[in-house]
Amino acid sequence: MGTLDILGRILTISLFATTLRMTTPVLFATLGGVFSAQAGIFNVGLEGLLTIGAFFAVVGSVTTGSAWGGLAFALVSCLIASLGFAIIHLELGADEIIVGLALNFIGYGLTNFLLIAMLDSTGFFQSPLLVGFETIRISLIDNLPVIGDLFSGHFSLVYLSFISVALAHWFLYNTPWGFHLRAVGENEEAAVAVGINARLMKYFGLSMSGVMCAFGGTFLSLAYLNLFSEGMPAGRGWLALAAINFGEGKPVKSMVAALIFGFTDALAIGLQQFGLPSQIVLMLPYVTTLVVLVFSAIRQQRRATATLAAAAAAEA
Amino acid sequence: MTKREEPKPSSNESSTITTRASRSRLKSILIEVAIQAANYALILLVSLLAGGLVILFAGKNPIEAYGALFDGALGGTLKIADTLDRASVLILAGLAAAVAFRTSVWNLGLEGQLYMGAFAAAWVGFSFHGLPLAIHITLVLLAGIVAGALWALPAIFLKIRWNVNEVVSTLMLNYIAILFTAYLVAFPFKDPAALFPGTPVLDASARLPRLIPGSVLNIGFILALVLAFVVNWFMFRSKQGYELRMVGLNARFAGYAGMPVKQSAFLAMMLSGALVGLGGAVVIAGFFGRFITSFSVGYGWDGMLISLLAQNHPLGVIPAALFYAGLSNGGMAMQSATGVDQAVVTVVKGTLLAFVTVKVFIDFLNRRLRKWAPSTS
Repeated sequence: MGTLDILGRILTISLFATTLRMTTPVLFATLGGVFSAQAGIFNVGLEGLLTIGAFFAVVGSVTTGSAWGGLAFALVSCLIASLGFAIIHLELGADEIIVGLALNFIGYGLTNFLLIAMLDSTGFFQSPLLVGFETIRISLIDNLPVIGDLFSGHFSLVYLSFISVALAHWFLYNTPWGFHLRAVGENEEAAVAVGINARLMKYFGLSMSGVMCAFGGTFLSLAYLNLFSEGMPAGRGWLALAAINFGEGKPVKSMVAALIFGFTDALAIGLQQFGLPSQIVLMLPYVTTLVVLVFSAIRQQRRATATLAAAAAAEA
Repeated sequence: MTKREEPKPSSNESSTITTRASRSRLKSILIEVAIQAANYALILLVSLLAGGLVILFAGKNPIEAYGALFDGALGGTLKIADTLDRASVLILAGLAAAVAFRTSVWNLGLEGQLYMGAFAAAWVGFSFHGLPLAIHITLVLLAGIVAGALWALPAIFLKIRWNVNEVVSTLMLNYIAILFTAYLVAFPFKDPAALFPGTPVLDASARLPRLIPGSVLNIGFILALVLAFVVNWFMFRSKQGYELRMVGLNARFAGYAGMPVKQSAFLAMMLSGALVGLGGAVVIAGFFGRFITSFSVGYGWDGMLISLLAQNHPLGVIPAALFYAGLSNGGMAMQSATGVDQAVVTVVKGTLLAFVTVKVFIDFLNRRLRKWAPSTS
């Protein structure tokens, strides 16, 4: 079987449909980070928030018997966690990166502990009591060739993640709150000088990180898979940081990076069927992230040099 | 840059002034120590309370659980020796983080560098035969150092060449290293006799000599202690160490002052990778005796926490690492004795980290204690 042959069998419509599905959790986390980044906070706690979201979604689903109940539990727990972050950083003056790192540890430890204490399981939890999300068929496009296969039959959260990108963009660039948020991130002192409540904006940005990661975590444990396992996000919170870095904190641009990661994730799943060692194939998203990071850094550096040159030319 | 000159007494009169000055400086240092101690006691209390609440939530008795934890960490010579053994890799990982963080190089890739160091050490340990003990062990440790530093190289190269954010690149290299070593022991270097996917066992000549019969404590611990003092000397007494710290405080300013900013970042990253790679070698050649996938229960991550807890001070890393080793070993004992899962220890560690840079406690203590001793401004 030649390389081209393998490529032909992998590059199918279902690969791209899988891409959309694999992008969703990273995209939610990315948007969460975007809101913090726009308020001037580099939120490295996304991975922990995703873990907390995924776990409490399962708890909520088992308790209420509904996937939406699971989402509600995830939202509440992630909001509490991100407010805790905000209080320790903004009120008690702790370093944002260190509190973010701490959130990852607490998220990991707490969910592992509660997995045993609340769900009586070690390592992972799976049960018929666990109600997950159903996929949606969009009747309008369902019967169309290609488009139907690609865009119909996904989980509601998949659609929601892409709609959220548009909403976030609209919010940041077209509403007063969005403007205030960006002003705080760009120059806090100037923002305060014109009467913007910087602290409130930072609370808001961090809370939105919690909300978005609750959606992302819920997607992992109630849609993508119908179970919770230890360390479930598997680095997606970190990939989101790379996506934000690539997208310079802008929702649409960061989505492009999230789509690239989703694609490599889907590709890794596809390649595993061809007997390649899973350890090598699973490296793909991380290697891709490195490559994407380098490209965006080179581009940013070029642009900075060009701006400097233009400024020099304008002066002369 | 000139270093601050100490005032030199030239006459009797000025020497009394100096004595008074040094006495007040001593007082100032004592107050500083008291403030720090009170601050640490406070954040430790907060963290234990957080863990205690979680234990209560699980319907268990926190005091009983913490008692079992304490006993598991320090109850008897052998338990203490095992705690010291666990501390050796943690001290090395903590030093690795301290060197990088002091230079403001955010090396979050300690875990990956640890894996690469550990695998390289294991490979040297099981591939070469018939070497004298001293030479074989030296080669094993060197392999860990070199592999750890090499795995840190791409991140700092990308940072210096294209200003690629090292936080994300080092994190990605973690996942790649863990998967790569998992591949190596699943295929090319698989020992069919091993229960878990792992390499063949290291030759006896590659194992670190034990210090106490009946305990896994080995010379790796002494090596780690010595290196803590060496790193402390390097950071605070050598020219390069001074440059590293200045670059860490303010890279732009250090650059204006003519310091080699890029070289300092490079040096810090290489030392960091080398130290944690050595940690990997020590834990393989001292404890496991072979490389096993997922042998590390987050030693690299713990190293970062330890360094931050020690305010990135190389000597502070020693007590912080001992404390973490006690928490980890005690956590296992607590789990088997009381049924409280050791994951609660991660919650305690995380809460400690969340509060370690909190400024309000220390500001409050400062205001209070300085008020009592206004002469020591």
